[in-house]
Amino acid sequence: MDVLDLARTQFAVTGSLHFLFVVLTLGLAPLVAIMHTRWARSGNPLHERMTRFWGQVYVVNYALGIVTGLVMEFQFGLAWSGLSHYAGDVFGAPLAMETLVAFFLESTFLGLWIFGWGRLPRWAHVACIWLVTLTAYGSAFFTMVANSFLQNPAGALVSGDRLALTDFGALLTNEALVFSFPHVIGAGLFTGGMVLVGASAYKLRRRAPEAEFFTRSLRTGVVTAAIGIFLTMGFGYAQFAGVQEGKWDNTGAAIALGLMIEFGQLLGLIVLFVMLPMVRNLHRRRWAHPILIVMTPLPFALAILGWVAREVGRQPWMIWEKLTVADAMSPGLTAGMVTASLIAFTAVLGLLAVVDYVLIARVIRRGPQAPDLGATAPETRSPALSY
Amino acid sequence: MEMLWFVVFALLLAGYFALEGFDLGVGLLLPVLGRTRETRDRMVAAMAPYVLANEVWLVAVAGTLFGVYPLLEGRVLFGLYPLVVAMLLSWILRDAGLWFRRRVDGPRWRGFWDAMIAFGSLGLSFGWGMTLYAAATGFTASPVHPLGLLLGVVVSLLFALHGQTFLGWRAPGAFGTARSGRALLVSGLLAALPALGVLAGAAPYLLEHSAPSATLNVLSVMVLPFAPVILGAQVWVWRTFRPGKDADRVPSFF
Repeated sequence: MDVLDLARTQFAVTGSLHFLFVVLTLGLAPLVAIMHTRWARSGNPLHERMTRFWGQVYVVNYALGIVTGLVMEFQFGLAWSGLSHYAGDVFGAPLAMETLVAFFLESTFLGLWIFGWGRLPRWAHVACIWLVTLTAYGSAFFTMVANSFLQNPAGALVSGDRLALTDFGALLTNEALVFSFPHVIGAGLFTGGMVLVGASAYKLRRRAPEAEFFTRSLRTGVVTAAIGIFLTMGFGYAQFAGVQEGKWDNTGAAIALGLMIEFGQLLGLIVLFVMLPMVRNLHRRRWAHPILIVMTPLPFALAILGWVAREVGRQPWMIWEKLTVADAMSPGLTAGMVTASLIAFTAVLGLLAVVDYVLIARVIRRGPQAPDLGATAPETRSPALSY
Repeated sequence: MEMLWFVVFALLLAGYFALEGFDLGVGLLLPVLGRTRETRDRMVAAMAPYVLANEVWLVAVAGTLFGVYPLLEGRVLFGLYPLVVAMLLSWILRDAGLWFRRRVDGPRWRGFWDAMIAFGSLGLSFGWGMTLYAAATGFTASPVHPLGLLLGVVVSLLFALHGQTFLGWRAPGAFGTARSGRALLVSGLLAALPALGVLAGAAPYLLEHSAPSATLNVLSVMVLPFAPVILGAQVWVWRTFRPGKDADRVPSFF
């Protein structure tokens, strides 16, 4: 591989890892916020346990979202300084919004939510998780604004040898953005819903003592997944109206797109026409539980296929018909530099991702008995109920 | 407008040193003050509620670098490629240590991640000293220079001092002498001093290389209305987690 391929591989690996965690964050955040709100209103211990258990899954997943995101942000300057040199006056604005406003607030409110248990007034605590959700969606929005600019450089004109920002409104109403953003949000909800479904099916199959807890979680998951896949499919097809000419001439992108659509549709049919009608008694259909469990990784795989189609289809352009990836690469970047950082990032982030998924699986296996999240005093875990 | 955004940038970078400085300092002190697992738990518990609100200042610094100084962003980060990669890896390991250390019971698991917190904090603190040296030379000299290494030691010591002051302020008496809020403010200023010095020297150059006014105007219109919210959220963190008897309460999520 030459240095360009190495730099692209580094971006693809870290970007894919990042999105695996982000897509679940986007789906779980509103669900945990709803659970917390219901607990605050009813005071029902079941709602408290749901908030803490699914909240724990959410925050353990969040950890990897943060650390992979750090690499993404700094990677632009490390390997792709030609992008900021040529288009920084345009592309930098949404990135600055994302980091300076949306993610800044998201991280601050998440800290308040995680450590606010027993310290914040009840409704202020609920407000924190809603603010985390709102700013997480804001972060996703500005990231998509930046990415959509690469797909379709709206709102900018060439001035000298650089791009100048002429119309920020055009950046926000970019035709590459208006349908792709809700598509991503739908995919997040679908993923979050399917994780609730898969984990609940596992616990019901194991005849966990918390049958009511997981029956309710299963239903919430099915309904969320149905809403999510409906949005994803609708806004997915809507994107064809604004896709760049010649994007699917790229074989890799076309294959990824085809696979995503085929399997996405199949999953959509299963969720909307089998799981949703069965939502009332799916918890009793024990034969279905292994199928629901093995379906859990599919939304993640589809999300990655979607990004492969969108990003590989953009090649060889960094900014469509304006700047190639070869010209966007940092001048002077050597294969040795990228190889070293690629190996280091892949090894460290890959290992941490595996550890994180094992920890999430552990949280689910343990069940809602005394989760770490929200523990304000030492609670005893009854070993008989934990495993 | 260039001046305003320079002030924002300087505030974010100095704020990162003054705030995240004590988190990194506590991380550095873990093997020094935290001889037992219980002491380390309490040290981490004391700083844990602040970490997410503090480390994000550097995320904002990088975003501002991209938005306000696009011509410098690539030059700075690419110019220090191996150092930036090493600092990112340190940051990742420090964060992973915090998020993971309490997820499994067992002394070896927690001991390993506590070591990662200390190691990552050291890598970041030391790396900042070297970065500041490179910045002071206009990124013309390699950061691996006796002066760069010396600055790495200085920044690490300043952060450790700041971390110790923070522990004395947040959990008075639990880790040595109690410290006042004023002492914490002074140690925060000391921790930010190296960054402020480099910023003062770089000011004319930064002002000259700002993004054009069209970009800065958009950023101002979009970002400045949120400034009170961002500030309010930070104040809320400090009010909620002010010192008290539950400051080093365990179990803490981190």
